[in-house]
Amino acid sequence: MNTILSTDQLSKSFGKIHAVDRLSFEVKKGQVFGILGPNGSGKTTTLSMLLDLIQPDKGGFYWFGKLPSKESRKRIGSVIESPNFFPYLDAVSNLRIVADIKDKGYDEIPDVLQLSGLYDRRNSKFRTFSFGMRQRLAVASALLGAPEVLILDEPTNGLDPQGIAQIRDLIALVASKGTTILLASHLLDEVEKICTHVLVLSKGRMLFSGEVRELLSVSDAIELSARDMQALKNAVKEIPGFISFTESEGIIHVHFDGPVSPADINSFLYNKGIILSRLSERKRSLEQHFLELLQENT
Amino acid sequence: MMKLLKIEFKKIRTYKVFWILFGLYFIFLAAGILLAEFMINHMVNDVNKRMPIPFPHIAIYYFPDVWQNVAFFASIRYVLIFPAIIMTILITNEFTFKTIKQNIINGMSKAEFLVSKLLIIFLMAILMTSVLTAGAFIIGLAHSGFNDIAFLTKGIPFMAGFFVSILCYMIYAFFTGFLLRNTGLSIAIFTLYSLIIEPVVYFFLRAPFMFRNTIYTYLPVNAVIRLAEYPAIPTLKKLMGLELQSHVSFTACLVPLGYAAIMTLIVFIVIRKKDL
Repeated sequence: MNTILSTDQLSKSFGKIHAVDRLSFEVKKGQVFGILGPNGSGKTTTLSMLLDLIQPDKGGFYWFGKLPSKESRKRIGSVIESPNFFPYLDAVSNLRIVADIKDKGYDEIPDVLQLSGLYDRRNSKFRTFSFGMRQRLAVASALLGAPEVLILDEPTNGLDPQGIAQIRDLIALVASKGTTILLASHLLDEVEKICTHVLVLSKGRMLFSGEVRELLSVSDAIELSARDMQALKNAVKEIPGFISFTESEGIIHVHFDGPVSPADINSFLYNKGIILSRLSERKRSLEQHFLELLQENT
Repeated sequence: MMKLLKIEFKKIRTYKVFWILFGLYFIFLAAGILLAEFMINHMVNDVNKRMPIPFPHIAIYYFPDVWQNVAFFASIRYVLIFPAIIMTILITNEFTFKTIKQNIINGMSKAEFLVSKLLIIFLMAILMTSVLTAGAFIIGLAHSGFNDIAFLTKGIPFMAGFFVSILCYMIYAFFTGFLLRNTGLSIAIFTLYSLIIEPVVYFFLRAPFMFRNTIYTYLPVNAVIRLAEYPAIPTLKKLMGLELQSHVSFTACLVPLGYAAIMTLIVFIVIRKKDL
């Protein structure tokens, strides 16, 4: 797999605050790479540096294996912070300026407007657009010229549920075509749903970087219940790796010190003569994981 | 270059504020120039009522004086500030709408962004000088009839002087707008400096009892206006042998050009260093 982006010790301070602190990571071709962090954790600052809007204090980065330039930016489509367009120009005219800058033709403009659901309003001035439409025009502009990389900063911020679903479908569609996506979000559920890889950021520092799947596959609790609850409670204590359990409403949540297989537990208990009426694996949500990571580092 | 102009033209093509202000500028300028003689002579008439020997009427639209006079009226502070304000709006809009960020993100280099604005300033200066030159020529023809070419075009360097004035003054405005980034603040400070602060400083520097020097010629706005500082009034010349300004001095042109060059350089340095 070829590397699309690599950063090396990227740092930026605003006064005494380390907005981004020695950040090194790599994004490979075809990944949907999420940058996850609470508000003010340095996500936008990082993306702004990657797009040459902010000068890093230290460190550097490479796009497509080269030092960043205007040519590398032409291969990237971005939605950063708020949609930035001329209010007195209509959607098409705004997109034509984008196409001119990117050295692309105008023939794709109707397509991206269709894709973002703005085709019917293509001749309306940007000023007259609702917030959701503005956001979608920003996405349309980012998609112009079939970019190799799509950078999205809080793409669903401030949208209604329908708008959020539309944008997510659009991202999924673009990702399915093999476009690399770099997405910053403070919404865990968004990253969980869309991303293949995630980097967790807090106060400008990297707390975790890896596959989302890897992060989610860890299950450390099993929910059990049986007709004979007393026998069950006694038996679970003998399962290897057992730590503790809690009971609520006729179900016990059993915690282990590492990953366990539900099949092993079932056969273990069956051999003890316990017939389970419930056996379910409780995956740690990304949210719990995220909160844990944040707690560990404060 | 053509690409940048194409982009810049798209930005202003349907921008009503730009065209309205530009239109008003031309209307006021034309009205001012065309009514000037009438208004001056109206004042002369008033004065003459109280004078034993009547003062002769003044004619300002004859070749070759018409060049200098048109350049003079177009270089008055209150007129010159119009295109400068238009330029301030064009640059600060890019910050207000954050389109400067978007242009850079989309693949424009920071230098290209500045060049595109400087190109527009240059084109506007050429356009305004052309319109003014054509206007002065028509006015001259209408009043003096056809004459020999050398005499007709004698004062035309005043038009070149006007080009330097308008170009540099718009670059000052561009510089102010770029550094302050805010439309209202930029216009307020630029206007305040041009119309009030500098004239006050100028007054004290020129007051003969203060300093006997030429520092005042280096005041940025004064350096722009000085290129056509006085009108040509043949009556005065005939009566008193008084000629306030005979030609556009080349060395005087170097002062505003120098300021404009320094400001352009600063803008290029700042955009490299400062975060957007």
